[in-house]
Amino acid sequence: MSNIVNITMVIILLSVLLSLASNRLIALVKIMALQGIMVSLLPLLLEHHSRMGSGGLIFFQVMILIKGALIPGLLYVALKRVVTKREIEPIIGYHASLFAGLIIILLSIFITERLHLSLPKGHDLLLTTAITTISAGFFLMMSRKKAITQVIGYLMLENGIYLVGTALTKHAHTLYVVEFGVLLDVLVGVMIMGIILHNINHTFDDIDTDHLNLLKD
Amino acid sequence: MESFFTIALALLLAPLFPGIILKVKAFFAGKKGPPLLIKYYTLLKLLQKGSVYSTSTTFVFKLGPIISCAGAMMILLFFPLGGMSPLVSFHGDVIVLFYILGLGRFFTIAAALDTASPFEGMGAAREAFFGTLAEASIFAILILFYRMTGALSFAEYFIGARSISMAGTAGALLLLVIVSLFMLLLTENSRVPVDDPATHLELTMIHEVMILDHSGPDLALIELGSFYKLFFYSAFIFLIIFPLKAEWGLFKVPLFFGGIGLVYVAIGLVESGMARFKMNLVPKFVLTSLVLVSFAAILTMEFIK
Repeated sequence: MSNIVNITMVIILLSVLLSLASNRLIALVKIMALQGIMVSLLPLLLEHHSRMGSGGLIFFQVMILIKGALIPGLLYVALKRVVTKREIEPIIGYHASLFAGLIIILLSIFITERLHLSLPKGHDLLLTTAITTISAGFFLMMSRKKAITQVIGYLMLENGIYLVGTALTKHAHTLYVVEFGVLLDVLVGVMIMGIILHNINHTFDDIDTDHLNLLKD
Repeated sequence: MESFFTIALALLLAPLFPGIILKVKAFFAGKKGPPLLIKYYTLLKLLQKGSVYSTSTTFVFKLGPIISCAGAMMILLFFPLGGMSPLVSFHGDVIVLFYILGLGRFFTIAAALDTASPFEGMGAAREAFFGTLAEASIFAILILFYRMTGALSFAEYFIGARSISMAGTAGALLLLVIVSLFMLLLTENSRVPVDDPATHLELTMIHEVMILDHSGPDLALIELGSFYKLFFYSAFIFLIIFPLKAEWGLFKVPLFFGGIGLVYVAIGLVESGMARFKMNLVPKFVLTSLVLVSFAAILTMEFIK
C-alpha cells in the first residue's frame, strides 16, 4: 500500500520536472492534468484516510473532476483560441530550469529534515513532494513570460498547498472544506485568465505579458 | 548450460526484434511493412558482398566495425538474460561494460574520422557530444543502483540477494529510472526523437552518417552490433520493470523474450508518434534523463537512511 503512495508521489515529482522542461503549451496542459489527477488521488491512498464516509468519497471525486478535467479543459480551450503554441523566450532557459529543479528538490529535502514534523509512518516523501511542487510552481511563475504558463505555475502552487494539507491533517475530510474554497478561487482565476488571455491576444496578437508594460493611459 | 542456451538464443534472436519496430511503424502508417525477418535478409545480403576500402583509409577504418560489434556481444555475456546467471560476473563489471560500449563508440568515431570525409566528421562530433551527455546519466543510474543494492554487477542487480524490484524499498524511484533509461535507449541507439535511422539527408544524420563508407561484411558487423546494443538496453529496462523470479524455472526464458518484444513495441509507438528533435533540442532531452536520475538519487536520502 505504501508503495502505491510512493509511486503516486514519484509521478507527481516527474510531472513537476517535465513541466519545467517542456516548451509546448499543449504538453504543459496535459502534464498539469496528470498532476491534478495524481494529487487528488493521493489522499485516497493514504492510510489515515482509509475510513471515510460516502460524503468524503463524493468530495474526492469532485476534486478529481475539477483538478483533472475541468481546469485543464478550460486551459485547453483558452489555448485553442490563441495563436501562441510555445513559450519561445522564457526569462530562465530550459536547461537552467531543469538545474533549478534539482536545487529545489535538494532544498526541500533539507527543509523537510529540519522541520521535524511527525508525519504518518512510511510517508516521509509526502512533505518533500509538497514543498517541491510549491517551489517549482513559484519558479514557473517567475521564469516564464506567457500568461498561460504563469497560470499553470499558480495551479502547481495550489497542488502543492493541497499536498501539504493532506500531509498534515490526520483525519476528517471536513478539514478539506478550506482546500475546496481555495480550489474554487483557482477555478475562477483560470476562467478569468481565459477571458483576459483572449483579450490580450486580441489586442497584441500574442499572449506575452511583457506587452502589458507598454500600456499607458 | 541454461545460460549458454539463453545467450545463444539472444544472439540469434536479436536481429528479429528491430523488425517488430518496423512492423509497428508500418501499422501506424497504414502500410503492410517489410517482413518480420527483414534484418536477417539484410545481414545475409551484406555478408555475401565484398568490402570496398578507400585508398585514404588505414587499418583503423577496418578495426571500427569489429570492435564495436565485439563490444556489444561481450555485454550479453555479463547480463543475466532471462534471469539466468550470466556466464561471467565480477564486482564492478557494469563499469567495465559501459566503458567497453564506450570503446566501441570510440572506434566507430575513429573509423569515421579516418575516412577524412567532412560529413562523417560532423556525425562523429555529434555522436561524441551526445554520447558524453548520455554517459553522465548512465553513471547516475549506477550510483542510484549502488545505493539501492550495494552492488556493482548486473548479476547482483537482477538475481542477487538484494535485487532491484518495484516492490522493494525505494521501488517507486525506479519509475524515474525507467523513464530515464528509455530516453537513454533512444539516444544511445540513435532512435527517432534523437536521430532518424531512416533519414536520407547526410546533414541531419548522427549515427548513420558515420558508417556511410562502410560496405559489405563491415556494414553487417556494425548493424549486428547495433542490434545487440539495442537488445541489451531493452533487456535492462524490461528486467527493471519486471524482475524474473528464480522459482519460475525455464518458463522465464519465453517470458523474457516476450517482454523484450513489448519494449520494442513501445519504441515503435514512440517512433510513430514523434518527429525527431531539432539538433539543438537533443542535449535538453539527454539532460532531462540525467536530471530524472539525479532526482531519484537525491530522493534515496528519504528512503534509505
